[in-house]
Amino acid sequence: MIFRAVEDADLIRKARGGDVEAFNLLISRWDKRVYNYLVRILRNREDALDLSQDVFLKAYQNLRKLDDPERFASWLFRIAHNEAYSLFRKRKPEGEPEREEGSEAAVRTGGASVFPIELSIAVSTALDRLSADQREAVVLKVYQGFKFEEMSEILSCPVSTVKSRLYTALELLKADLSPLKARGAV
Amino acid sequence: MSCSPFDLRDYFFGELPEEHRRQADLHMKTCAGCREELEALRSTQAVLLSVPDEEIPQRIGFVSDRVYEPSVVRRWWGALWNSGPRLGFASAAMLSVSILFSATHRPAGSPADIARQVNEAVVKAVAESDARHLQETAKLIDAATQRFDERLAHDSEIMAKYNTLSYRAAAYGGGSQ
Repeated sequence: MIFRAVEDADLIRKARGGDVEAFNLLISRWDKRVYNYLVRILRNREDALDLSQDVFLKAYQNLRKLDDPERFASWLFRIAHNEAYSLFRKRKPEGEPEREEGSEAAVRTGGASVFPIELSIAVSTALDRLSADQREAVVLKVYQGFKFEEMSEILSCPVSTVKSRLYTALELLKADLSPLKARGAV
Repeated sequence: MSCSPFDLRDYFFGELPEEHRRQADLHMKTCAGCREELEALRSTQAVLLSVPDEEIPQRIGFVSDRVYEPSVVRRWWGALWNSGPRLGFASAAMLSVSILFSATHRPAGSPADIARQVNEAVVKAVAESDARHLQETAKLIDAATQRFDERLAHDSEIMAKYNTLSYRAAAYGGGSQ
């Protein structure tokens, strides 16, 4: 008898045949990543959870359209990206998510030491200052670890655009977060 | 400003081709400015990653709804029909089962049953033979009786003619004396 790990492609094949349990197992592998991606770009946990459910429902309904199971991750995040931007458009017609009130005050933590909660607020605020596109590029690269080619598929734009958004965002983040680094927060 | 022959940020994210990465590695060993810039990128990434992923507050899962789901028979049939090897295997299995069934369920009686069936067949054959003989005998008797009656009628007719002739002869003979 030979044991081998059940890969996503195996689960996708079974789920395509109507095996809901196989799809549930697939969800359990990816739901945390999708949820955190959505939390970081939507900045709202309830919306992120609702959209996560929508993302997996759409994924199940369209699983047969996935040509290459090896590209499941970027395909799934493409659905998540579309859902998030659909929500942005519903909430704010111009497509730019609103910034939270009081973010300016939150980033100026001051004092000699930085507590984890302060660090979290500072990072969150620095991310809030980015445009939605820049923030999403940072989330996909830094937090989700996608390659530029995959990001290009998810965001439906050229690699050069992806890199431009990411590197501009990194310059802004570097400037915003340098006081924390100087104080030895990390 | 980076003096690296390749984009330092691509190098940092591991997006350079292998050959370029090796050249960049060598450059980093000799260039303090690029090392500093690389360190700044690492620090920024470290600060960002210091805010870890959250646990999802509610696991996501789906329950199969039988209303929208194809029936078990349909799914089974679909799976079977769409698979040549499975269909061949099923045909062979059905054939084997039929052979086994016919071998084990062929109606074969006990010796007593067989003896009874033979006796019944013999009795039946004897009865049929007797009936046939009786029928033939009856036919022969009927034919003989018919022939006897015809003969009797013929004889009676001859006798009647003879009597008539005898009577006439007597009449003529008595008149001439």
